[in-house]
Amino acid sequence: MKENEPKIVCFSCRFSWGYLVDEDDIYAKVENWIPIICTGKVDPVHILTAFRNGADGVLILGCPEGDCHYQDGNIEARKRINLLYNVLQSYGIDKKRLKLHLGTDPEGKTISSLVKEMADDVRKLGPSLKATSKQEKVTT
Amino acid sequence: MTKKITINPITRLEGHGKIDIFVDDKGNVEDAFWQVVELRGFERFCLGRPAEEMPRITPNICGVCPTPHNMAATKALDDLYSVSPTETAKLVRQLQYNAFMLEDHFIHFFFLSAPDFVVGPIANPALRNIVGVIQKAGIDVGKKVIDIRKRCREIMTLIGSKPAHPEGGLPGGVPRGVKEEERVWIKQTANDAVAMTQFALDIFKDVVLKNKEYVDLVMNDAYRLQTYYMGLVDDSGNVSFYDGTIRIVDPAGKEYAHFHPSDYIEHIGEWVEPWTYVRLTHLRKVGWGGLVEGDNTSLYRVGPLARLNVAKDMATPLAQKEYEQMYNILGEKPSHHTLAFHWARLIEALQAAETMKQIAENPMLTGNEIRNMNLKLKKVGIGCVEAARGTLIHHYETDDNGLLTKVNLIVATQHNAAPICMSVKKAAKKFVKGTEVEEGFLNMVEMAFRAYDPCLACATHSLNKRMPVELNIRKQDGSILRTIRSE
Amino acid sequence: MDKQKVAILWLGSCGGCDETIVDINELILGVVNSVELVLWPVALDFKYHHIEKMADGEIALGIINGHVRNSEQAELAHLMRKKSQVILAFGACACFGGTPGLANLRSKEDIFNWVYREAPTVINPKGVYPQTKCNIDGKELTLPNMLESVYSLDQVIDVDYYLPGCPPPPYLVLKAFTAFLENTLPAKGSSLASHKALCDTCPLNASKPDKIALTEIKRIHEVEADPTKCFLSQGILCMGPATRSGCGETCININIPCRGCFGPIEMVEDSGAKYLSGLASMIDVDDEADLQNISTQVRDAMGYLYRFSLPISIMERKKL
Repeated sequence: MKENEPKIVCFSCRFSWGYLVDEDDIYAKVENWIPIICTGKVDPVHILTAFRNGADGVLILGCPEGDCHYQDGNIEARKRINLLYNVLQSYGIDKKRLKLHLGTDPEGKTISSLVKEMADDVRKLGPSLKATSKQEKVTT
Repeated sequence: MTKKITINPITRLEGHGKIDIFVDDKGNVEDAFWQVVELRGFERFCLGRPAEEMPRITPNICGVCPTPHNMAATKALDDLYSVSPTETAKLVRQLQYNAFMLEDHFIHFFFLSAPDFVVGPIANPALRNIVGVIQKAGIDVGKKVIDIRKRCREIMTLIGSKPAHPEGGLPGGVPRGVKEEERVWIKQTANDAVAMTQFALDIFKDVVLKNKEYVDLVMNDAYRLQTYYMGLVDDSGNVSFYDGTIRIVDPAGKEYAHFHPSDYIEHIGEWVEPWTYVRLTHLRKVGWGGLVEGDNTSLYRVGPLARLNVAKDMATPLAQKEYEQMYNILGEKPSHHTLAFHWARLIEALQAAETMKQIAENPMLTGNEIRNMNLKLKKVGIGCVEAARGTLIHHYETDDNGLLTKVNLIVATQHNAAPICMSVKKAAKKFVKGTEVEEGFLNMVEMAFRAYDPCLACATHSLNKRMPVELNIRKQDGSILRTIRSE
Repeated sequence: MDKQKVAILWLGSCGGCDETIVDINELILGVVNSVELVLWPVALDFKYHHIEKMADGEIALGIINGHVRNSEQAELAHLMRKKSQVILAFGACACFGGTPGLANLRSKEDIFNWVYREAPTVINPKGVYPQTKCNIDGKELTLPNMLESVYSLDQVIDVDYYLPGCPPPPYLVLKAFTAFLENTLPAKGSSLASHKALCDTCPLNASKPDKIALTEIKRIHEVEADPTKCFLSQGILCMGPATRSGCGETCININIPCRGCFGPIEMVEDSGAKYLSGLASMIDVDDEADLQNISTQVRDAMGYLYRFSLPISIMERKKL
């Protein structure tokens, strides 16, 4: 059932992932795909916003170690994500729902299967906790 | 048909609350309820926090007495890490602490309680404030009081970062010491504080003790409540704010218990009622007996009069003289006269000032050793101080990393919550008759709780000369029967 | 000319924001003589129904401190909005939710259960909870309802200005009053404090090395911090980089790191998230294992990052 399908947001760096094909091809195959120019640009704000807006998981595809076009963007991303795990845990969001994968795939053929793999992992955790069902009325 | 009178919010008091007074057909007060309307849950949201952050988080419980929370938390850390503060650190902490006790007590007396006596309890409410006090005592008095408060808070800023919500406090020490050049003005402040407190006591004696009407009020049964009393005492059994053991005496003055704060759970119970968010502390071993006083009570009081009641003596000489005079005049020890809290408060302020002076003259105050780094986490820590309003206990338990797994806080207000309810009820019963309720009655009832709580400094209480008071008497269905307005 | 009416109201508050107004000491005389104070429950005897009777917009300036955590506080916030031309959110709780905002990590049930049943000193044989309405011997008593979450003021009503701090320092309070009286308040929505981060004004800034490269994070009680060096350069977490300046570095001055009571800097949506990026850039470890190790040394990320601002963070609260 479509409602139960985990929603995965996928950020992927254009320098290593799918840069040989048309973006539209990947958009067609991967829902919630966000091409970026460097994983170093992914801010915890973006990740938290994704979860806030209903994402069940966030996958970040970056360049292999040593191959970052901007030198250490992927390393910064890894550090940020490690620190963010603590925060997510406090919010009740399991570590498995955020993943950084470093590698390269110029045609972007594996992007959708990586997303599916993440969706499978995340499905085992159950749906991500949403806003409390008791929405309090505090505004007029 | 019972009629309900609601005072909401109660004002000139720290804390959020209301009072409901129920009047029967004959015009007699059947019952009165003092209700605390708020809960925030510090004991739960502190879980998972590193224990060393507690001296910084817990002051947010109260902006009027944040220093006691900061200090109780710091002492809980000492216990948690099995470490004693260095001699210098202890002096620095006590200097900060006594400066706080002094300014808090002082402001309460001048801006909150003095008006009821200097101007009069049923006097025109427009004058029943610091303006009225200044009119009678002189403008210099007001200026001096603001000045002393300011200078005490400068000491608190120096040591704790800011007076509302101090941030210092580490296990085994303090983060910042005191410098020799700072000692100079600290000494001056302490000396002036001693003089100013003696002056305040003179005012009290002149205005209250020499006035038969006020003495009668102090001794009036409406303001008398027979309970146990609790407070910290030092090794000599004297009044102590920063450190000591907890002593409890029964209404007749006999020692009921004397124990180390770590054993507090054995003695203190918290009762829950559906009409208030505050938990009502009582003597656990006696067992909750409801809102009763005297022989069958399980209730105890804390705060200035309670501390003087449980102690053998004051810890400083000038305060001791005042202490002896007070009990001579009151004629009983323990004294159950609630309005005597005001008097006891001033005597405590004098002890705080004298202690500040002693510390300011102590060469070790400016020592270099401000941290004892020999920390050994034992995973349970209990810290206890006497806040201006009463005994305060912080109890922390942690995991192996010093992150909190359990927090229990017994806050000073709780100890007096049930007694306050009873005092309000007693005063209401005495001063409210029929549905013809005079405005002055409001204040007479408010005087019953005002005695317990040092309140926010009311420097601007003076700035609005009009204090209209409006009382709505409502029928059971909520419609207004009568409105009384003062002006 | 009639004096403008000013009201000071406390919601979920500790009283510290009222104390700081008094800490202006004699300077407040000039200010307050220029206005008519019509509400200040902690200090004056006006009651809520005095405000109810006023015309809409009759109050020129409504100063509100404290967060919203119960039904009565929400109602009072709305009442004040109606009766006031300008609303000033005063203090960290009103601006961001404040320290008690950390209760958004727990449920109301969890809090009630501990406070009224499980705490070691509680004696409650019938498991009683406080009730919004109860009947004692035929007398009806009511209490406000505690909400599920803590809210900042602007999550409940429209707010015109913000004065951050826990509490706001007296000099900024005076500045705000003066701006109001002289009609020089900035654009609506402004914070009445610096737009810069604490680091910009911190006395230890000059001691900061060109690059901070941490291999270890230390807790404040484990070390004797050097009062002449930037905390972060010593591996001690300080929220300065993500916190608005204006407090006068009162904590830094007693050798204690910043915990963020002035809240996010101008135009930052989530100061905790921003701080994380900054902290990540200061960490200098090579392999995955070391990285995990240093991440663990940040013992309470939530508590450091969102000490004062959890309710206004992107997630607002732990989902239940």
